[in-house]
Amino acid sequence: MNSPTGQSAERWTRAAVWRAQHRIAANDSGRKLLQRPVATGLVWLVVAISLALPSALLLTVENLRPIVPDLARSAQLSVMLDREVDRASAEAVQGQIENWSGVDAVRWVSREQALSEFGEQTGLATLLASLDRNPLPHTLRVLPKLPVSDSALNRLIGELESFPNVNRVVADTRWMARLDETLVAGERWVLALGGAMVLGAILALANTLHLAIDARREEILVVRVIGGSPAFVRRPFLYTGLYFGAGGGVLAALMLWALSLWLTGPVNALFLLYDSPGQLQGPGFEYPLALTVLGAMIGWLASWAATERYFRRLEAR
Amino acid sequence: MIEFERVSRRFGDLDALRHLNLTIDQGEMAFITGHSGAGKSTLLRLLLLLDRPSSGEIRVKGELTREIRSHRVPQYRRRFGVVFQDHRLLFDRSVHDNVALPLVIAGFSPRDSARRVRAALDKVGLLAQEYANPATLSGGEQQRVGIARAVVARPEFLIADEPTGNLDPQLSSEIMALFEAFNQVGVTVLVATHDLSLISQLRHRIITLSSGRLAGAESP
Repeated sequence: MNSPTGQSAERWTRAAVWRAQHRIAANDSGRKLLQRPVATGLVWLVVAISLALPSALLLTVENLRPIVPDLARSAQLSVMLDREVDRASAEAVQGQIENWSGVDAVRWVSREQALSEFGEQTGLATLLASLDRNPLPHTLRVLPKLPVSDSALNRLIGELESFPNVNRVVADTRWMARLDETLVAGERWVLALGGAMVLGAILALANTLHLAIDARREEILVVRVIGGSPAFVRRPFLYTGLYFGAGGGVLAALMLWALSLWLTGPVNALFLLYDSPGQLQGPGFEYPLALTVLGAMIGWLASWAATERYFRRLEAR
Repeated sequence: MIEFERVSRRFGDLDALRHLNLTIDQGEMAFITGHSGAGKSTLLRLLLLLDRPSSGEIRVKGELTREIRSHRVPQYRRRFGVVFQDHRLLFDRSVHDNVALPLVIAGFSPRDSARRVRAALDKVGLLAQEYANPATLSGGEQQRVGIARAVVARPEFLIADEPTGNLDPQLSSEIMALFEAFNQVGVTVLVATHDLSLISQLRHRIITLSSGRLAGAESP
């Protein structure tokens, strides 16, 4: 302002003006939303469902993840020694393998012990007792150092197999790899689905915002003529979008919490039945925070897009 | 000072303005008249940079409007107070908030703003209606709120497009008297109107447009 009356306005710094204009836009937009609670609630619900569904799936995948290392820990290798190897030689082999860099621990299992364990696990103890000789060799149970990649594990298996006095190495790791890949695929599927649903939420929001903008067409035209900058015109709608998005995010977080509370009982019982020390991991604080931030970003973005489109059409007239 | 130099504006085959030369002095009050379609609104739109001329130059206090970049256009427009024919008040807020709108845009502090809004409403005689909804006011009162909004930020220029178009003669002359009052304190006033019987009683220049050309300019 270069008019003489502009002096008192200049006591306000640009930052203060900016803050005040934001405060006014934020309050006005908030009040307008609260004046129409049903319509606002429906928008929140649309956003919430679009966000809650993929995040529930993502949470499921994340709950499966920690079980995998548990299973990997059971990825021990059974090293069957040659049948003629006696106890002293077996302990010598154990001593050597224990020093390998990729090996965490080696437990020696005598053929007698192996037989009785096998008997216990299969319930065939009496039958086995009737055998005239123990068919099992001495065995070393080798625990690889974790985490171990597939290729490292295969290398370790190869080295063990070529070691003197070793007959064969038994390791069933393929199902683990399969489970791992399944989880990776599942995660990608969830991300793709989530991306599609978030896009849907943006489009739904942009359409709702377009209507909100059109309802204030008169105001936009007036403000434009009397010197409101595009940023000033856009500001209330950005806040409307922000409230729609963030509100939807909060509602999505509540849905996720409700869902995990509902599932905690049966899922934890399931963990117990599988002798797993695991427990259902709820959404914690990261999920609600991420959902709220994501929702707010979606809302801001959608309203930016909607205002941009509207203004361009307005200018073109 | 506002200068139009050979300004033309074409819309397809139609010439809304043709080689218009026109000068409005600083502190002057002038009427622009002519039939509808004569180019009155186009002239005001060009002045407010709501539209750009097809050819020719417009200078405001010596500044070429062609050289005003789009991000500076809002600031440029704040130098003008604009009164619309249909007053264009916003019915979702009080009279006070309507009048305060230009001050919010320009970034006045709330206290300063409230003081100026009351001063402007006082000038148009509507201080008692400060917190009324404009929808509850009569047509003449609504137009006076529109004028208060146009002058509240104390613009250098006051532009009015058919401000009395919907009002009876009594209210119309009241509105014109308001414009004259602002002109007397130094504001340059430009009023587009076809209410010849009203403006012929006032002693100000009348600029007549006809098919986008200057048909005649009478000085008082």
